[in-house]
Amino acid sequence: MAAAQAGDAQAYRRVLSEASAWLRRYFARRLPPGMIDDAVQDTLLAVHLKRHTYAPERPFGPWLAAIARYKWIDRLRHLRSAPTELLDDDVAVEGHEEQVTSAHALERLLAHLRPAQAEAIRLVKLQGFSIEEAAMRTGQSESLVKVNIHRGLARLGRMVREQADVE
Amino acid sequence: MSSEIRPDDLLIERLAGSLRPVRRRRPWLEMAVLGALFGVELALLLGAGHMRIDMPHAMGMPSFWWKLAGLTAIIAISSTTALLSLDPTRSPRLGLRVIVLTVLAVLVAGWGVDAAQTAWLTGGETLWRRLAPQSGLRCTRTIVELAVPVAIALGVLMRRGASVDLAGSAWAAGISASGWGALAFAFACPFDDPLYLAVWYGVAFGIVTIGSRLLLPLILRW
Repeated sequence: MAAAQAGDAQAYRRVLSEASAWLRRYFARRLPPGMIDDAVQDTLLAVHLKRHTYAPERPFGPWLAAIARYKWIDRLRHLRSAPTELLDDDVAVEGHEEQVTSAHALERLLAHLRPAQAEAIRLVKLQGFSIEEAAMRTGQSESLVKVNIHRGLARLGRMVREQADVE
Repeated sequence: MSSEIRPDDLLIERLAGSLRPVRRRRPWLEMAVLGALFGVELALLLGAGHMRIDMPHAMGMPSFWWKLAGLTAIIAISSTTALLSLDPTRSPRLGLRVIVLTVLAVLVAGWGVDAAQTAWLTGGETLWRRLAPQSGLRCTRTIVELAVPVAIALGVLMRRGASVDLAGSAWAAGISASGWGALAFAFACPFDDPLYLAVWYGVAFGIVTIGSRLLLPLILRW
């Protein structure tokens, strides 16, 4: 990276390639599969724009990890306002390992929420049900489903940030 | 070996193709920029004839030195915290805790200075006279005006940096900017009463800091 800061394109290409492979694994454990590509590319772009903030006397890994964590939290924040997409019943899936790990990590986080919040997030944000459908399934009013999603995601965001601070 | 092109290969190629050498961030240089800006503000303020007329007398008062030492300590810690937090691997949270403790220590020291030089005048009228609200509001306004250029400079520096805790960096930047503004004004302000300073300088700190907290994250997001 120090060479890249001096303008060495070859070294830069190598460091970005290694970084993108690492980022792919990093986000696979933390985001739904459909968001991984965008998150990796967004982070690579951030690395490019902020490359002057890297101090060569310090290791590259923690610097990259800090940017990746920032972008991850940013994604989670956007998830709160993003419209929910309905999925087809039959979706072709290539591999399961990353998805299972990601789902496991999400489930662990959801377990810290109140059951009504976790259920609303699970149905609307993860399983693609509409607010009305989620309201019918949970017995909550539509506005309560929205409130539970909003508060649940806010709490998830705080938990992730606190965890990140502890790390 | 797979010949499959990953989705980010094209991006990497584009980024590497447009690579230009960059000048690394140097926090000490950024601190020097803030110091220089403070110097310009102070020179303009004193050059316009605003230096307090009782300066020789003030320099013999413990409260004057308490004011300068307290503001310098707050500036040193808050500016360091704000600038270091622009490195994505550093969090401003510890620095912010130290700032809170420093402000408390400065206020406690001010209470001690106050107790030593004021014969514990009490009563609503006395307190009102010590607070001198008309002068206090003028002081507050001037400190805010002097803090704004520093806050803008910090905003520019922060935009170039890569803070991963925008709120924390903005708090530190707001405290730092108001500290620089208050220190410049300290040479023009004829008031050294710790109670007066705690209230009116405190209000100015609050305005600039809350303003920074609300506005800076909007331009710092990256």
